[in-house]
Amino acid sequence: MESLNLLTALAHVNVEQGFFYVLAAIAIPLAYGVVFDRNVIRSGFLLIGVFATIAGLFFLLQAQFLGLSQILIYGVGITLVIVIALMLTNARQETGMNPALPANVGLASFVSVLVFTTIYLSLRSAEDWPLKNESSLSLPPNIEMIGKHLMTYYALPFEFASILLLAALVGAVMLSKAEPASLANAGDEAEQAVDGTDRV
Amino acid sequence: MKDSKASCRPEEARDEADGGLNMISRASIHVVAYATAAVAITVLFLGGQLGQWIELAGLSVSRADQIGFLALVVMGLVSCSFGGSRLGVMITGTIAAFIVLTAHQELAMVRYLSLGAVLFAIGIYGMTVSRNAIRMLMSIELMINAANINFVAFAHWVDPLHIRGQLFAIFVLTVAAAEAVVGLAIVLALYRNMSTVNMEKFNLLKW
Amino acid sequence: MNSAVFEIGKFARLTLLWLCIIFGAVWGVSWSIGVLLPAVILSQSGESGRFWAQLLQALVPVVAVALFVPLNTCYMVLAERRLLALFTVRKGPNRVGPDGAFQTVADALKLLLKEEITPRGADLLMYTLAPVIFFAPSIIGVMPLLAAVSGNHPLFTPVNLPTGVFYILAVSSIPVVGVVMGGWASNNKYSLVGALRSAAQAISYEIPLLLSIITVCLLAGTLDFVQIADNQRGSLLNWNILGGGALTHLGIGSPWWSIAAALLLAACCILLFALYVICACAEVNRTPFDLPEAESELVSGFNTEYSGIKFAIFFLAEYTNLFIVSTFAAVMFLGGGHAPFPGLEDACISGLRGLLAAWFGACTPFQLGWLVNSLVNPATVSQVFWIIVKSYALVWFASLIRATLPRLRIDQLMDYSWKRLVPLALILLIAVTFLKELV
Repeated sequence: MESLNLLTALAHVNVEQGFFYVLAAIAIPLAYGVVFDRNVIRSGFLLIGVFATIAGLFFLLQAQFLGLSQILIYGVGITLVIVIALMLTNARQETGMNPALPANVGLASFVSVLVFTTIYLSLRSAEDWPLKNESSLSLPPNIEMIGKHLMTYYALPFEFASILLLAALVGAVMLSKAEPASLANAGDEAEQAVDGTDRV
Repeated sequence: MKDSKASCRPEEARDEADGGLNMISRASIHVVAYATAAVAITVLFLGGQLGQWIELAGLSVSRADQIGFLALVVMGLVSCSFGGSRLGVMITGTIAAFIVLTAHQELAMVRYLSLGAVLFAIGIYGMTVSRNAIRMLMSIELMINAANINFVAFAHWVDPLHIRGQLFAIFVLTVAAAEAVVGLAIVLALYRNMSTVNMEKFNLLKW
Repeated sequence: MNSAVFEIGKFARLTLLWLCIIFGAVWGVSWSIGVLLPAVILSQSGESGRFWAQLLQALVPVVAVALFVPLNTCYMVLAERRLLALFTVRKGPNRVGPDGAFQTVADALKLLLKEEITPRGADLLMYTLAPVIFFAPSIIGVMPLLAAVSGNHPLFTPVNLPTGVFYILAVSSIPVVGVVMGGWASNNKYSLVGALRSAAQAISYEIPLLLSIITVCLLAGTLDFVQIADNQRGSLLNWNILGGGALTHLGIGSPWWSIAAALLLAACCILLFALYVICACAEVNRTPFDLPEAESELVSGFNTEYSGIKFAIFFLAEYTNLFIVSTFAAVMFLGGGHAPFPGLEDACISGLRGLLAAWFGACTPFQLGWLVNSLVNPATVSQVFWIIVKSYALVWFASLIRATLPRLRIDQLMDYSWKRLVPLALILLIAVTFLKELV
């Protein structure tokens, strides 16, 4: 009788649970693909897939605003990452190369399995989750709630976030800007090249 | 850039032939890792009678779980040893293990948290192992998103009235965006100096 | 001169024919699925059929969109070709069907029967997935607009989201992924360059587009399409393009600063509309900004290698996106389904009602009367009429722009977005917020 536990548990799967497992069964292979695919660019596209499924999970959790902003931010953001990857990786070098550093594989597998086991066991062992069973139907729409919180109680963190973004923007521009000296050199070389061709 | 593929096809084939030998050793490492992981989890589960600390964790394990795990371990070992695709085995193993671990949970929240843990673990693996700096950034994004799942799950079940978890997730998104921007800029600067994004080559500070 | 008038007449005839085909087919099918069949089922099997009836009604928006998108694309391509011919004093396609009305249907058939070629070295999975990812958002994205277009008809109410605007913005950011994917996967340098350009362009023009739409939402005070459209009820002065009713509140005795603020607000909103049109053109890769698919330099960019049905899907998605953007503008700025002048809407409705009464009112049995009443609801028809007129006017305007303006250079494109449009959008956001409080 006891061995039927799993079957009975599976028989009581409701719709939300079914959607959850479908999304999980999409997200996990895609996440493996991100890590193991030989081509960085394709793994970038797979990463977008992972984020889309996570957005789906957010919809399941009735966080519509967050799901939509996840799509909005990552749809474009990761595309940008892919574009930069396209610019920086040499396809000829990359093909046929193992994406993983072999020296780290054993340690990494051990650590990741350990992390998962630890988290899972602590989840299982916790019994006193402070759950609240308020019916979510009577609640205000969450976009309204989020707006209210961001503008009142969390206004200061919100401002800090904007300052952080500004700093990141300026920092990124500074880091990725070509150095003036090298720029000048490049310009000179180009001019010389042009001159040379003219003379020839 | 990419159409060089067609021209260097023979080389590629040779690479793969070379990789064949490597593949076996690599595959064996993964088989061992997979087996140890599966055995470890199974032992932890069987250990309901074995160890004190498991009882401390308050686990209740049904016979079905144990059978499922044994089946998984056997399946994985058999298919790996008969030359099955390592990635396929890992994926199916992870999904099956995930379902076995979470299907009988009483709280729906634990399922979401476990999925977050799985993605987080994959992200850690990718971050540690990646040869390409950009792939490393991607793995970090994966980890951040795994954490976000937890925030939203907590917002849904623990704090449905004020949904502070979602608010925090929004801040996490912001920080993740900033992190990605700065990380990409650093990779770009590195590429400019070293003309590669291979993590092994960034060893100037190594002694 | 005479021949130009003649050609315009022909174009009008074509348009009428096609619009009747499109909307007749869409409404006929959705009516028979959503009203007729459920009524039949309910009368036949009573309570047990309720589930099936509800399922059918829930399917209506999906079926309507699936039917609308290909038909509409057929018309839009035809209209664009005829209009370009008109602008450049040519004849345009005029062989297949009356006045060439079915030219695009023939083209579509040819495209579907063509051999599909996958270039060597292409990444097959990504290559196949790219058109789907490019196309899916335009199908999903139309959904919330349906409610606004149909005047919140009960059949389409379920797809109206309280955060519809944000939803469409989120969904409309997905196609870039499809473009980059397709461009990279087809293993072709032109495609790759087109895809990279497209990514850069979409990212830089998305910011002013978002800002302009956020400003309109601030003005309207909601993210709900139906509410935004309803707020603009009345006349031209209530439309968001003229400040969303700021001008109508003015009386004789209002203070000078209020009048000034209202006028300024109207000016800001007109600027905002211009901003939106520019950015929307860039987002859907229309002509002054069609660098990603520049035929003359990139041999049509990211979809160079695509042929057959995959190319057809790209094509469908592009024109559907143009239509979505136009309808979005019609709802957000141009008053949705409301007539430009105060009495006009009521006149439309009462006239239609009179017509119906004259034709079907007196001498028909009860059954037929019910059918006609549920099939043709005067209020809905008037709303749909106005929104169709506005949307297609914007689509034709896009054709006019295509015939008029040359293509930008890539550095001009980026400069224009980051140095002109983004600051302008930010200034307008702040200005509209303050002026709205002042009025």
